[in-house]
Amino acid sequence: MIEAKGIIKRFGNIQALDTVNVTIKKGGITLVLGPSGSGKTTLVKSLSLLDCPDSGSINIDDLIFTFPTNKKNWDFKSIWPKLTVVFQQHFLWPHLTLKENLLLPLQKKKFQDNNKHFNRIIESFNMTGFIDRYPNQVSLGQRQRAALARAVLLNPEYLFLDEITSALDVEQTSILIDLLFELRTSNIGILIVTHLIHFAQVILEKNENNSFIFLDEGKVVESGKIVEFKNPHSVRLNKYLSVL
Amino acid sequence: MSVFNIIYQYKEAFLGGLLVTLKLVGIVWILGLSFGILIGVLASKFSKTLGIIFLSISFLITSIPVLVFLFWVHYPLQVLLKVSIDPFYSAIVVLSLVNIFSVSQIVKTAIFDFPKQYIFAAKVCGLSKSKTFFSIQFPLITRQIIPSLLPLQIIMLHSTLFASLISVEEIFRVVQRINSVIYKPIELYTALAVFFLIISLPVNLLAYWLKLKYTRDISEN
Repeated sequence: MIEAKGIIKRFGNIQALDTVNVTIKKGGITLVLGPSGSGKTTLVKSLSLLDCPDSGSINIDDLIFTFPTNKKNWDFKSIWPKLTVVFQQHFLWPHLTLKENLLLPLQKKKFQDNNKHFNRIIESFNMTGFIDRYPNQVSLGQRQRAALARAVLLNPEYLFLDEITSALDVEQTSILIDLLFELRTSNIGILIVTHLIHFAQVILEKNENNSFIFLDEGKVVESGKIVEFKNPHSVRLNKYLSVL
Repeated sequence: MSVFNIIYQYKEAFLGGLLVTLKLVGIVWILGLSFGILIGVLASKFSKTLGIIFLSISFLITSIPVLVFLFWVHYPLQVLLKVSIDPFYSAIVVLSLVNIFSVSQIVKTAIFDFPKQYIFAAKVCGLSKSKTFFSIQFPLITRQIIPSLLPLQIIMLHSTLFASLISVEEIFRVVQRINSVIYKPIELYTALAVFFLIISLPVNLLAYWLKLKYTRDISEN
């Protein structure tokens, strides 16, 4: 389980995250909702320790990181790719084909052992037709699928997805939802950042244990499960959902 | 008398001038690229200390026309220092400094502009620092800087002509001297233009092709 408490992140005078608490359980999906500029991507970077918070603590399977601190003493390498992230943009290395993008993080020996696993992932992500192309030769949706496939190939325990539905059509999003639920049954803890209300509702309705937090100006203004999502207490989330 | 007859008749002078030009530009290229890349990397790594110092020097050097800089180093500076330096070495110092600081700015900018997301993606995929550098940063940054570095090296080759003005016996000065004897400006300067074209054109075309191919790769992801 990942448990983050009191996460604070500032950029100069701007308070990007203000005392954010969030929990990601293995086998569960946590959604991070909020309008643009509410701090969603900053939260992903903080939780994945790519850009450490100014204050707060992050407990990853009993490995506790407390901030502020001298991070030189910490071995972040043990965190990745056990915890991995699929970003909104610049997620594939442009000088490598999609296949090379997927293979680079895998050790040669490990890949030979997992050749079947690799082929199965390629097939399940429907990538066989464009696996040998470069990222600039495929659509954004295909690139996002490739980035997700690369993350899944690493057998992570925690998977963070930052707005990866942004370039997917309805059909691709539906396939993605099925894939995510398949991953969830593999006991992977998933955190999904999205601003798409309908997508969030589908995820929350699929399993009552899935949860969400709603961020606004760096603060968690509402959190809970499908019940709280449908009957929010906060004025801000009510207003946000009213566009549905 | 045809161009080939002239070249054959004055082959020793031509070869001598050609060798001086190639030696001069060779040294300027080697010093410029090696120290320029080193300074560029250091300036990006220590941007608030060394970076500011190197940027200031770069502004200073690139703001002065090469010809003025060359004359200043060869005449007033030597008088001030009470030394007498061979004009060939004065040309090496000036052209190398210009090349070093121009290269360093290209390298520094490419390192600065490198999208951090690519490194983040490498980190969360569990890639080591060395694998990230050799498999991702180095090839991408190299592809970004080569289209800018190649035309700069051609400019440095063309700038070696200025050395003739402080009496360096390079190809342009040799052609001028031969012309003063036989007065065949059309043939001589055409031959000189062809010489520069043979070296410059393929390099410029290569730079153009690399720019079309690789800058597109990065911008479209």
